[in-house]
Amino acid sequence: MEDPSRLTREFLEELGTKKTVGEIEELRVKYLGKKGTVTEKLKSLARLAPDERREAGRLLNDFKALAERELALKKEDARRRELASKLASEAIDVSLPGIFRRPGRLHPVTLVMSEIIRIFTGMGFTVEEGPEVELDHYNFEALNIPKEHPARDMQDTFYISSDIVLRTHTSPVQVRVLEKKKPPLRFIAPGKVYRCDADVSHTPMFHQIEGMMVGENVTFANLKAVLEAFLHKVFSPQVPVRFRPSYFPFTEPSAEVDIGCIFCGGAGCGICKGTGWIEILGSGMVNPRVFELAGLDPRNISGFAFGMGMERIAMLKYGIDDLRLFFENDIRFLGQF
Amino acid sequence: MRASFSWLNEFVDTGLGIEETAKLLTMAGLEIEGVEEEEGVLDVLTRPKDTLFEVNVTPNRADCLSILGIARELSALTGAPLKMPPYKVKDEGGPEINVEISDPELCRRYAGRVIKNVKIGPSPEWMKKKLEDYGIRSINNIVDITNYVLIELGHPLHAFDLNTLKGKQIIVDMAENRGKKITTLDGVERKDLPGDTLLICDAERPVAIAGVMGGADTEVKEDTRDIFLESAWFKPQGIRKTAKRLGLGSESSYRFERGADIEMVSIALDRASYLMREIAGGKPSGAVDNYPRPFRPHIISVNTVKIRKLLGAEPSNDEIFGILKRLGLNPEMDGDMIVAIPPSYRLDIDSEADIVEEVARIYGYGKIPSTLPCTEMSAGGLSEKQKFVYQAKNAFALAGYNEAINYSFMNINTLDTLGLQMEDPRRLAVKVLNPLREEDAFLRTTLIPSLLENLRYNFTRGIKDIRLFEIARVFVPIPPVRRVLIEGQPGQLPFEPLRLGGCFFREKSYLFWKEPEEDFYRAKGALEEFFDAVKIPDRDYRQGTEPFLHPGKSADIFIGGRRAGYIGALTPTLKEAFEIKAKEDAIIFELDLDLVFESLPGTPVFRQIPKFPAIERDIAVIVGEHIKAGDVLAEIRNYPSPYIEDASIFDLYKGDKIEKGKKSLAFNIRYRSTEKTLTEDEIEEVHRGLVKHLLSATGGILRA
Ligand SMILES: [Zn+2]
Repeated sequence: MEDPSRLTREFLEELGTKKTVGEIEELRVKYLGKKGTVTEKLKSLARLAPDERREAGRLLNDFKALAERELALKKEDARRRELASKLASEAIDVSLPGIFRRPGRLHPVTLVMSEIIRIFTGMGFTVEEGPEVELDHYNFEALNIPKEHPARDMQDTFYISSDIVLRTHTSPVQVRVLEKKKPPLRFIAPGKVYRCDADVSHTPMFHQIEGMMVGENVTFANLKAVLEAFLHKVFSPQVPVRFRPSYFPFTEPSAEVDIGCIFCGGAGCGICKGTGWIEILGSGMVNPRVFELAGLDPRNISGFAFGMGMERIAMLKYGIDDLRLFFENDIRFLGQF
Repeated sequence: MRASFSWLNEFVDTGLGIEETAKLLTMAGLEIEGVEEEEGVLDVLTRPKDTLFEVNVTPNRADCLSILGIARELSALTGAPLKMPPYKVKDEGGPEINVEISDPELCRRYAGRVIKNVKIGPSPEWMKKKLEDYGIRSINNIVDITNYVLIELGHPLHAFDLNTLKGKQIIVDMAENRGKKITTLDGVERKDLPGDTLLICDAERPVAIAGVMGGADTEVKEDTRDIFLESAWFKPQGIRKTAKRLGLGSESSYRFERGADIEMVSIALDRASYLMREIAGGKPSGAVDNYPRPFRPHIISVNTVKIRKLLGAEPSNDEIFGILKRLGLNPEMDGDMIVAIPPSYRLDIDSEADIVEEVARIYGYGKIPSTLPCTEMSAGGLSEKQKFVYQAKNAFALAGYNEAINYSFMNINTLDTLGLQMEDPRRLAVKVLNPLREEDAFLRTTLIPSLLENLRYNFTRGIKDIRLFEIARVFVPIPPVRRVLIEGQPGQLPFEPLRLGGCFFREKSYLFWKEPEEDFYRAKGALEEFFDAVKIPDRDYRQGTEPFLHPGKSADIFIGGRRAGYIGALTPTLKEAFEIKAKEDAIIFELDLDLVFESLPGTPVFRQIPKFPAIERDIAVIVGEHIKAGDVLAEIRNYPSPYIEDASIFDLYKGDKIEKGKKSLAFNIRYRSTEKTLTEDEIEEVHRGLVKHLLSATGGILRA
């Protein structure tokens, strides 16, 4: 029986020269395979005396255990190295751009409008619509603005014929809904409106949202609370809100609603013309005359109505300083929101 | 209306400072839009600079178009007493002139007075100052006094040179009865006044357009000695109509058309006469006052319980009474009932609601609490159609398109540029009578003209990626038959169908990851994403027919057999017309959103996830170049076998490896049964049948 320590030395020497998983596997077969060195040596033990045989067997088993352990370690090591080099060879330049489709943006008017719609629908308001080309009757007469009424000067009107106009406000939707549906009602009516006017602060078309709530016990105090809640959501819960008397032929009492200037915090600046307040919407209790004109009995119901311009709110919200940008459709503008 | 702080103080001494006064008025409905320091004061030491309020007087408050009116409001708000300027005038002799009113409805009162021996000259400095503060140029003392009283008391006056009036006679009558010709003070000769224009005439001819503007012939000049001073009340609607028609708005007409104070007629006359005596040394004679039916006030009764109920606030009966009293509404109270009698200057108050408003505004909107309404619950929210519109907007935004909003106007000539046929219904557009520009005279019948302008605008500014969409109504004057049948609407108002339009232009050279050569498919992809998002199941792209689109690169889109729109590349001519100087195509599309909405399927119904495996087969056919891949795919999908679950195209080849004029199309077909696992033999049989059918239907051959 040769010296088992020599066998171990030879094995370890040989193992040291092997690099790849394949070579290591070949070495394993050579020593530990079915026809490998260990098997051969075990067979040759039969010729020895029982004592010697036991001792030699023990040494061979020790060698086998050692070889298996060393092979496994070396193999794992080789596998790791091979994987690493494979991955390294597959590397790509991760700094190149991703395959990315830049989403487009919705128009700031749409964004503001849908936010306002969300707030009011959350309060149980429905969303109504009416035609943009409107009868003079709905745009003016039924809103208590007869022909030759000075209030018609408040709105420069595009005419299609003597009795058809481009609606100058979304208020005609009030009348159309009052004629069609039974109170109690609460709805808003967003849409395009038109005024025959174009300069730095006017465009011939812009967007409004009208709102109305009608029922048996709707009060001015309700008007205040609903609009305050709304403005606190659109701007901030801290923004001061004030109501001051004004005039609209279709509401009485009428109120102009101001918020504390969000740019100067009420101290007075160029945007609020030094007043510390910014006019944000018009409102009021529905004029009983409007109920009558819509065929309802004003003794049994009351209501409030309000209207506001979307561009104005968008300008305040996003700090846009030129109204005309809304309709130039410059991608560099539209892409910002 | 501009009002100086010091002038207001002459009428009412509130003891309040400038800012407090401005705030008080603003919060009572007379919004102070601007506070300015007086300009052009030379010697600040002898006279401090005055402060000017720019007061926004709403159309209902004609009574506040004067210093007196605003002061009256301040008096009501603070309780400080109102002081009237002196107006009692010493006059001598009879009226010397006769006044006749033809229609007392249009002119309910006409007063006047002859003032003799006036010395025309410059006005005193204090008067010039007040006129200039208001914004009126000083002319001479007589004209200035009429303007001064107009600002002070709010009542318009007119002075005639007495000696130019013929026959000591004033007749208030219509143009149709007295002649339609007059040269007005502005030097314009008006030859054909409308017959219903109310005129002031002497015995022979018109001398003024009532309430609007005087005549040049009877104007007060440097050499005038005697004057006739007019103070009258004209019906607001008549004045407004005349002023509008003639384009002649004036300080006078502005007040008359909003409603002047009929009881102020004689006071204003006296006040001006007083000033003319004091300043111009004139000798007033007795006044004439033709006032056939004196003012009869409204009597309005209101229940204070109702006021409290409507406001949701608790002003007491005494508070309400006090407010109405301070406003001069002469209230009388009996329990919860109050009867108010508004004075002649408050023409705007004629109903209970008007009283509520007065109470609310003086009580103070700030004192009314904020109380959220208690009401029945109801489901709010958007309608299905409205939700659909937002879905569409989001789908196109996700596909990379920015949302545009254009004016609803179009230049009708663009339709020629588009090459629309004469009988194309889009040429029938709603016309605006008074457009701002001729290019904006028509309402859009298609969104394309606007989107082409957007393309031009962005392209000429060097933008290389222009993807825009717009959702808007177009305006169709003559209702299409199907809508009339459905809705039975009267045809008076145009229909306002909802459209979606879009444009796509992209310069690809700078894109790092290359995209397919044909931009058409990119744009079509966005439409497909949208259709897929809203679950429109079958849409069909057929050969395009729009004259402005490349015939070989455009398609008409059909949904459920109805034409829902089109998509395609602009013709080179159109591209040039809109300055798109690029080799890339510009793709545009437009959809009838109403039709798409009507075509939406209902709620999806769950189908069982397949229990049995699918088997796939590929097939490549060589067909003529003109054969459309979509048609071949439709043949596969429509092949009558229950086992064909789905099919898709995965390759298109044209080139050296196959015959010229042909192309190879490769399809992947998925077979599955819902009842069993299909055997190779079963599939083979169906597949063979399908191949045979396909080859005969397309005239193609199998690609080896
Ligand atoms: Zn500010």
